[in-house]
Amino acid sequence: MINENDPSTLSTSGRLLSYNNAVKEGLKTGEQFTELMDQLINTKDPKELVDAAQALSVFELDSDYVTFPHQYNNADYYLIFMSRLLELHDHGEAITLESHEDNQHLTQQIASLGDLGVFAFISANDSTGGVYYQDQVTGETLFYLNLKRRMMRMNSSAITRLFIETYADKVEKDQLLVATDLLIAFGDALKTDFGFDVDFNLLDTNNNEFYAFQTSNLSGEIVDKLFVAAASENYMLKHDEDGAVLELAPDLTLKIASHNATGGAAWGLYIADKDQQVSWFKVLLKYPFLRDWYLENIDDLQIRSDSLVF
Amino acid sequence: MPNNNEEAHQEVIPGQAQLDSSITQKINYLQTLQAALEDHDDRQIYELIDKPRYDREVKKSRSTTKSQNLADLIADDHEQLSHYLSENLIDYLGQTYPFFYYDEVKNGEFDIYFGNWWDRRKFGKLDVLNVAFEFDETEYNKLKRAFELDALNQRYNTENIAEISAGSAQLQKLIDGQDERDHQKETLRQQLKEVSQKSTLPWDSGKVKEERQGIVNQLSQLADEDEEAINANKKIKENDEKILSLSKEDTILTYEKQSIQQRFEDFSHFESHNQSLYTDYLTNLIGKGQVKADD
Repeated sequence: MINENDPSTLSTSGRLLSYNNAVKEGLKTGEQFTELMDQLINTKDPKELVDAAQALSVFELDSDYVTFPHQYNNADYYLIFMSRLLELHDHGEAITLESHEDNQHLTQQIASLGDLGVFAFISANDSTGGVYYQDQVTGETLFYLNLKRRMMRMNSSAITRLFIETYADKVEKDQLLVATDLLIAFGDALKTDFGFDVDFNLLDTNNNEFYAFQTSNLSGEIVDKLFVAAASENYMLKHDEDGAVLELAPDLTLKIASHNATGGAAWGLYIADKDQQVSWFKVLLKYPFLRDWYLENIDDLQIRSDSLVF
Repeated sequence: MPNNNEEAHQEVIPGQAQLDSSITQKINYLQTLQAALEDHDDRQIYELIDKPRYDREVKKSRSTTKSQNLADLIADDHEQLSHYLSENLIDYLGQTYPFFYYDEVKNGEFDIYFGNWWDRRKFGKLDVLNVAFEFDETEYNKLKRAFELDALNQRYNTENIAEISAGSAQLQKLIDGQDERDHQKETLRQQLKEVSQKSTLPWDSGKVKEERQGIVNQLSQLADEDEEAINANKKIKENDEKILSLSKEDTILTYEKQSIQQRFEDFSHFESHNQSLYTDYLTNLIGKGQVKADD
């Protein structure tokens, strides 16, 4: 019996032929890979960009007969994708992509953070190709990205720890905002170019964004603490039908409420301003007494992130 | 028997006339009230529901006309009357007392809240029919005391908070002193061992015993402090909670004090305003009535 898949059953020339075919296949795979790389590196079309990134993120370059000694990690293509997408949206200058030749991998730095923060994607191991954008220095994962499921989710606790705590006395506030604005720009690009479902979490500047607290049963004591802290800064926390409200500026209010935007029972807060430019994150950066209150009661107040990926 | 009838008729007449006049008076009273309601003449209604007070405090008449208490006729309408009269009264109060908020808990029954800040205090009730505040005595006295303390540059709970804070500082010292105590205990135990091992001469035994006892006492003192230190964190946390609730009360009292100062300058002006509220309000209604009549 001649079985093409079993070389021992083939004649010598048959074996050579089968070997040659396998090499050809391997080379073809390599060629496909370089075409995708060309596309990822050069295209000006967002659609082609995301297609290339998606294909490369699951691409298997090696075959039995042809292997490539120098290869990037699948997650590295997400980093190229992110850099390129930001470049297409005129934010190319805001980040630098670095290639580490010694062990063939990529990292990204955000210009406004200076030397702090070295970012890379790591696999989420969730079988749908999800990845986490992680700072290699602290291990904090800022967001989750999934090209296949077209979704992006900001991680509130990591953003708080990194930008509100760790970097707070190392980087100027406006530079921190440049960095988070870059993350927002990336999310916006995903939304507008590819219709991604993006949860900006505490970076969201929409007035009707409900920032849900970790606790579902906010104690009066925590609000009392805010009341006393605000009073000592000459802000009055006012009684409100559904909780409490704090007017931080003539056009900026923080509202603690026991119902979310769709009327469901949950504790959290809203930030409202005329131009919808201010997020809870920006408020935390700007008002030290609110930052202290938030961090001191973080177990209860931590803004919830998507529990499916964090 | 016509005569008998006549006699009976004659006997009845004086009483009947009295009854007739009494009923007429009641009818008049009720008709006046009804008309006042239709005309939205709140002044008239107030006069009708408490004529003696109206005469005394608004008309300032000295003679007290002893009138039949017709107001009893509408005793069971007080709820609705109070509800009706509250509308204009609360409007009026809003100008003089902009910091009071009212919650109609039952028909015609109003709770007063002081301020619009977080966890504002329920400050008492509004007696609409008598145009009077019925302040909660405890809350009112706290505020009064806060004004007195203001002169000393103190808040209501300043001393209380200082005392609790000092307690916490003491407890923290106890926690921080753990290493030091452990070290002391070690030294004392060593001393105890040495003392025990000393070959005692009979005439020294009393002294050694005394020395031993001294060390044991010190050790037990340290053990007590260790015990206290174990519970200290919990106590400090309890103290923090107490301080928070006292600070909150101080903040609320400060807001109340400021509200009154903005409107009345000091507490005595506030009090005198409250006392003349009935007269002031009805005089205001008379003024309004005249404006209406002039139109």
